[in-house]
Amino acid sequence: MRHKKHGRYLIASTLLLMAAAIFSLLWGQYYIGMETFFEYLNYKLFATSVIDQGTLALIDNIILEIRLPRVLLAILIGAALSTSGVVFQAMFVNPLVSPGILGVLAGASFGAACGMLISEHWIIVQILAFIFGFISVGFAVLIGSMVTSSRSTVMLVLGGVISGSLFTSLLSIIKYVADPYSTLPAIVYWLMGSLSMANLNEVFLVAIPISISIAGMIFMSKYFDLMSLGDEEAKALGVNVKFIRIIAIVLATLASSLSVVMAGIIGWVGLIIPHIIRMAVGPSHRLLIPLSAIAGGAFLLLADAVSRLALSVEIPIGILTSLIGIPIFIIVLKNARAAWN
Amino acid sequence: MELKPIIEVKNLYFSYKKHQVLAGVDLELYRGEVVSLLGPNGCGKSTLIKLILKLLHGEGEIKIASKEIGKYSHKDIASHVAYIPQYNNTPFNYTVLEMVVMGRVAKLDFFALPSAGDYEIANIALKKIDIEHLSNRAFGQLSGGQKQMVLLARAIAQEVNVFIMDEPVAGLDYGNQIRLLELINELSAQGYTFLKTTHYPDHALLVSSRVVVMNGGKIIAEGTPYEVITSKMIESVYDIKADIITHDAHKRCVPIFKK
Repeated sequence: MRHKKHGRYLIASTLLLMAAAIFSLLWGQYYIGMETFFEYLNYKLFATSVIDQGTLALIDNIILEIRLPRVLLAILIGAALSTSGVVFQAMFVNPLVSPGILGVLAGASFGAACGMLISEHWIIVQILAFIFGFISVGFAVLIGSMVTSSRSTVMLVLGGVISGSLFTSLLSIIKYVADPYSTLPAIVYWLMGSLSMANLNEVFLVAIPISISIAGMIFMSKYFDLMSLGDEEAKALGVNVKFIRIIAIVLATLASSLSVVMAGIIGWVGLIIPHIIRMAVGPSHRLLIPLSAIAGGAFLLLADAVSRLALSVEIPIGILTSLIGIPIFIIVLKNARAAWN
Repeated sequence: MELKPIIEVKNLYFSYKKHQVLAGVDLELYRGEVVSLLGPNGCGKSTLIKLILKLLHGEGEIKIASKEIGKYSHKDIASHVAYIPQYNNTPFNYTVLEMVVMGRVAKLDFFALPSAGDYEIANIALKKIDIEHLSNRAFGQLSGGQKQMVLLARAIAQEVNVFIMDEPVAGLDYGNQIRLLELINELSAQGYTFLKTTHYPDHALLVSSRVVVMNGGKIIAEGTPYEVITSKMIESVYDIKADIITHDAHKRCVPIFKK
């Protein structure tokens, strides 16, 4: 009964995600009609439909070069940020933390900017983003635990604010020394958050580690239920708390740091999606993690569609997610306050 | 009763910073017993049970099922002993059934998720203590007494024989305190073993096969409740006067005001 219900949620949300993906593939400066799209799909998959070469080249270019990488990247990054948010919240038994609030995004952006400055190799940028993302969580936790020995929701949030500010300041130094005509504008635009720089090869490369991280988090979901009861209870129920916490933080930091490398700082997704899904289906991580991954992907796809279509110029998606996320979080905060107290 | 103790503590010491909390504690727990750890605040009762559960590390010897706990993982310990904490205040509002199913994790392989069979065992545990009607309720919205019942059901779902409870009646109203003690009595009659800390000598008289009195990090008295809980012991441990009276063939502890 329970598993059937879970299955229905997952199927319904996957269908919604697919609908959002198809919408994003079709809509843009150049609209591709449904009929043309299905003809194109038929041609590509089964070579059964007739499509003229001019239209084929045009649609190939729009879909494969521009829209498909964006769609896949939006799904990947939305899923990465949402699942990381869920896992950080469980690990620290704190519903107010997210990759952004813990300073991971700021740390990863500093690491990635360092990488851009010293190397042209994408892998160096990714590794440095991950390392500094991890350092920033550690720093946030250290500050939180230095001030109070007991588990404190507010102190961890403040630790994250301090850690985030530190790495934002360090990032400013990088901006200051960066070439004002080439590197600086690239860093500034990238930091605002954008999915427009993606190409299919890069997306596939980053998809591997992000997918492994998300799959790992899904497989470990039963431990997150226990860890969210607090360390003592989790240990007494048989969990190797230290081991699970390290693995979980590594996976969540890896997923969210790579999202920064690919699309800059996209805030709020890792905070609001876990809360919305938790309000809808409850806190059990077995369903919460996969559903947050799907919903996060769908949310970022729709935000990206709005960022492309709302104005004649593209609005950076990071700005848009903040504008959407803040009012949603205020509502969530109001509803969830009683449970947290 | 078996001759070999299920839990064996020898010469156990523990200090927190420079404060000596336990100073050479010896304790044995045998199958089928209900042992009450009695003593004033800060005497080391809770520390002792946390050391047995490997939640803290001290100096001395602790064995569960004749094996040093240092050789056990937390999963191994959870396969022998269930812990029922004083309270649970997770900010995430799991349902009662989800809370009880968490007792099954020690039985599962690393990546395995609870199966339909595990949910069935959780449902049976809820039925065993007559709270199956709470199954879909949010744990956070239950009363203190109901929460303790759910945590007991989780311990039953863990399929172990030994339950360790830290102040099980703390924060409960009078009715729920007595209902919980009755439940412990019933479960004990079904063969479960209990080690519980308590602040109430009267509760120790009501539900214990053995009482262990602690003060200043040491065990100062041990034996059957009627032997151990005396006016003299109450005065020396709590610095108050109390009469031990007999009511309906059972002994009760009645405190006496100084004036």
